[in-house]
Amino acid sequence: MTPFLILLTIGLPWLGALLVWLVGEKRPSLLHALAVIFAVAAGVAALVLLPLAEATAVIQFNTQGILGELTFVPDGLGTLLAAVATVIGSLAVIFSVSYMKGHAQLRRYYVLVLLFIGAMAGLVLTGSLLLLFIFWEITALCSYALIAFDNDNPAAVHGGIKALIITQLGGIGLLLLALVAQAQLGSYDLAHFIAWSPTLPTAVLALLAFSTLTAAAAKSAQVPFYTWLPDAMEAPTPVSALIHAATMVNAGVYLLARLYPAFAEVAGWRTAVVIVGLLSVLLTGIMALTTYDLKRVLAYSTISQLGYMVTAVGLGGIFASQFHLLSHALFKAMLFLAAGAIIHTLGTRDMRQMGGLGAKMPLLRNVFVVGALALAGLPPVNGFWSKELILEAGLKSEMWWAYVGLLIGAGLTAVYTSRMIWLVFWGEARQKYHLHPLSPAMTIPLILLAAGTLTSWLLAGPLSHALHDTLPFHDLHALTLGEMVAEVMSWGTAVALTIVLLGMAIWWQRARLGGFVKRLGWLEKTAVNSFGFEFINHGLTVGAQRAGALLQKTQTGQLNWNVVGILAGLLLVLLILWGSV
Amino acid sequence: MDIFAPISLILIPLIATPIIYLGGRLANLQSGRQLSLSRWLALFTLLLMWLPFIQTARTSMIVCPCEFTVGLVTLHFDGLSVLLAGLALLLGTLVVFYSSESMAGEPGESKYYAMLVAIVGMMIGLGGAYDLFNLWLWFEGMAISSYLLVAFYRERPSTLEASVKYLVQSSLGSVLVLLGIALIFGITGQLRFDALAQATAAANLPVLLAAGGLFTIGFGVKVALVPLHTWLPDAHSQAPSGISAMLSGVVIEAGLVALLRALSLLGTVPTTWGELLMAFGLLNMVVGNLLALRQQQVKRLLAYSSLTHIGYMLVGLGIAIYANQAAGAQGSFFHLLNHGLMKGLAFLAAGALLYAFTSQQKDSGDHGLTIADLAGASRRYPLAALAFTLAILGLAGLPPLAGFMSKWQIFVAGVAADDGLITAVILFTALNSVFSLAYYAPLVNMMYRQTPSLAVVGGRPLPATVNLPLILLAAGVVVLGIWPNLVSNITELAATAVMAGLGG
Repeated sequence: MTPFLILLTIGLPWLGALLVWLVGEKRPSLLHALAVIFAVAAGVAALVLLPLAEATAVIQFNTQGILGELTFVPDGLGTLLAAVATVIGSLAVIFSVSYMKGHAQLRRYYVLVLLFIGAMAGLVLTGSLLLLFIFWEITALCSYALIAFDNDNPAAVHGGIKALIITQLGGIGLLLLALVAQAQLGSYDLAHFIAWSPTLPTAVLALLAFSTLTAAAAKSAQVPFYTWLPDAMEAPTPVSALIHAATMVNAGVYLLARLYPAFAEVAGWRTAVVIVGLLSVLLTGIMALTTYDLKRVLAYSTISQLGYMVTAVGLGGIFASQFHLLSHALFKAMLFLAAGAIIHTLGTRDMRQMGGLGAKMPLLRNVFVVGALALAGLPPVNGFWSKELILEAGLKSEMWWAYVGLLIGAGLTAVYTSRMIWLVFWGEARQKYHLHPLSPAMTIPLILLAAGTLTSWLLAGPLSHALHDTLPFHDLHALTLGEMVAEVMSWGTAVALTIVLLGMAIWWQRARLGGFVKRLGWLEKTAVNSFGFEFINHGLTVGAQRAGALLQKTQTGQLNWNVVGILAGLLLVLLILWGSV
Repeated sequence: MDIFAPISLILIPLIATPIIYLGGRLANLQSGRQLSLSRWLALFTLLLMWLPFIQTARTSMIVCPCEFTVGLVTLHFDGLSVLLAGLALLLGTLVVFYSSESMAGEPGESKYYAMLVAIVGMMIGLGGAYDLFNLWLWFEGMAISSYLLVAFYRERPSTLEASVKYLVQSSLGSVLVLLGIALIFGITGQLRFDALAQATAAANLPVLLAAGGLFTIGFGVKVALVPLHTWLPDAHSQAPSGISAMLSGVVIEAGLVALLRALSLLGTVPTTWGELLMAFGLLNMVVGNLLALRQQQVKRLLAYSSLTHIGYMLVGLGIAIYANQAAGAQGSFFHLLNHGLMKGLAFLAAGALLYAFTSQQKDSGDHGLTIADLAGASRRYPLAALAFTLAILGLAGLPPLAGFMSKWQIFVAGVAADDGLITAVILFTALNSVFSLAYYAPLVNMMYRQTPSLAVVGGRPLPATVNLPLILLAAGVVVLGIWPNLVSNITELAATAVMAGLGG
């Protein structure tokens, strides 16, 4: 039963992609229908798979060749993320029925989205590092193609290629992991690697630990590789909700969580992970305060929340990180879809042209408020419980400074969240609105996600037990719901809540803080320039072009110089060969 | 071993070439119209050659890598010969199909098909050569056929310039090879591969090294090693698109095979040819990538990217020889095959679009197909656009396409060598592979735009003879990506053939 379900979870979206491709561009309603059916079917399969989680590989296919053995392991971690990917995927596809209505190249859109969903499910369910890498690459390909979906928009194409190259560069870290695992330990198998990693030489293990961190940081848009995610907001919003909020960016966090037992003892690794996470939380939290583009605020906030998850892994709080992953996937997807509805209706992403929408679009306002509560971390929504668990992990660990950083981050989150909500929904309308009611294809996913945001924290018990039972290497502590609530209700949480409320108050009383804000002008300027990281990106790109231009001079086009090149080559080779004797 | 199959494999194209040329010209003269008889004769010849090829391949792979003697000449077919011959024959057959429409009515049509058959035959002979002189002979025959093909549009100044440069540089390379052969013959008195393998063990070391250096540079001009590559961008972009596909897909690879054959005679010399190949490989990768990044002309971009892919093959072979990892050679030969398919497909697809965009029946003038011309091509030419996309993504090394599998095999071999330096080489190779996305991805994006370029709007439809090779090659790229084991027999035998001389 379980192997069959795994094949369905991965295969149904791919089958759907194939059928959509065959149907062609001429019948859009059939395309919409097929996409929804296959995405939802995959979601159902993944949900049925959830309670059947086990720690052993249920599919093992020996390819007798360079691919080694292809395995799939439906443990708690994998099935959770597969369910997240497919369920939120199906909601994003349902939302697309309305959002992408009348859009050109619809077939290409659905093929890529469905291909992505299947690949993401495969990524988290596989037990082979090689297959993981292959699925990782396929998700990168789909992400690039979907960001650059509107090929006529140079910003979209630029964003797509940027995302592709940055995540692929990070992917080399994962490539190295797979190759060395095979070379040193004889197998691509993840469980085998984790079990035998203590036998690797220290230097090799350290290399693998940090290269994995690089791969994860690039994929999850952490510092210093985060610059692709804000530019990826050129994608159609259902894509942003699915890929760049709820699923693909989680792949890095997943990788870190999965490999934590292998690398936890490597000197300096956990500190490095925490630092990467903290920097991402704080820097992008500040950047979210400086931008007026609604999707960009959500993008920065995604990087920031992923930073929470990464920090949690570094602190050893594996369950906390995955619990927050679940919460974040739900509320961030909801926020993105809601933002998409707003952008679709108003035709702009600029928050300075919004305002006063609360009265005109009450459903969106309510949904946004639920999302904002979760983002800021206020009870009783899921974001509160999961974020507090992470903070507790910080309190309990020896890296107390991480706790302080996360607290500051929580405050920042509260400020930019309040700013966002206020600019969009409250105050005076800054332009004349021509609003039309939202179709059910848009409202149903929003309502479902809101319901999930309000209630997903109740799954803490079963989730914790599933992870504890099916992850033999992770040394996890199983909680029940009651235990989790008790753990969260501590003085640490009281401090955190105070900080959050303080953050909200800062926004509401910002007029009074005018002078203070002015003195932070230098910080704003640095933040607008993304703390120098875009400068580095730009420098690298220009550098490559310049190197190419310089090299072009050697292609003189003159035969005499070409012949000189050949003879010089001969001379050089002879010198090298004779010199080596 | 049944001698008939390999003999006919070699003789059929040699005999057919003059028949195709004369038959085509005479038929046109007699009837006063352009009959394209040469096209049918060429197609018949190449299809006919498949029969002895399959027979020879089966014998060579299963029974023995056998040698057989005709008079004074010995031929020898092993895994590497089969790989090269198969690729040459496959691409040759597809290119004949592909060129049907674009060559119809051209004054040089008979010459085109005759030389196409000739070059395929020469490459098969090169693969089967068993002594140095014949190796050079077939190599030179291949070069001469290619000069005529590159210079096909000889009324165009840019084509003439490109082909003259190619001729001069390639001839210089051939002279250097001859010098090397002369040196070897001078000190050992032998030319046959089997005799030389023992004779070189005791020979004078500096002379052997000099010969090796001469071989590397001499054959290296054809393989487009940097800094000997300067003829390549001009020649590959000025040739008719079918010929560009052949040149990048199999001719430069044939040069690589010749180089390996020559170097494997010097394998007993305690110098690591492996390090030399790796160094050239790294240089090729970087130069190819940086120069391709600057290109706005599609065919020139693809030509420069061939430099990069030769770099990958050289790195794999270098690792195999240096660290005694046969898997590296196997990966390189798999990449040789894949590159032939993918680059062939890329050139054929680009050529198809170029054919569609031009109102005359020849490739357009000096500027050729630019990246801007590709805009919106997928709307009117979905098949060519999809084929081109698959080729490009395969070349960039994205799974589940063929290019990923062969690169992966090279990476595995490199890391398995357990050497810090080689792992660094692998990392550098992976970085270059990612870098290449910077110039491959925009091509794909351009084709899927909504607003078509002027060229796309004014273009004519593509005939079935062009679409069929695109479909077959695209299918090959996808299938080999999902099921790389299909060709692992051939690549393994090819690797064994090379490692026998150079391993250890």
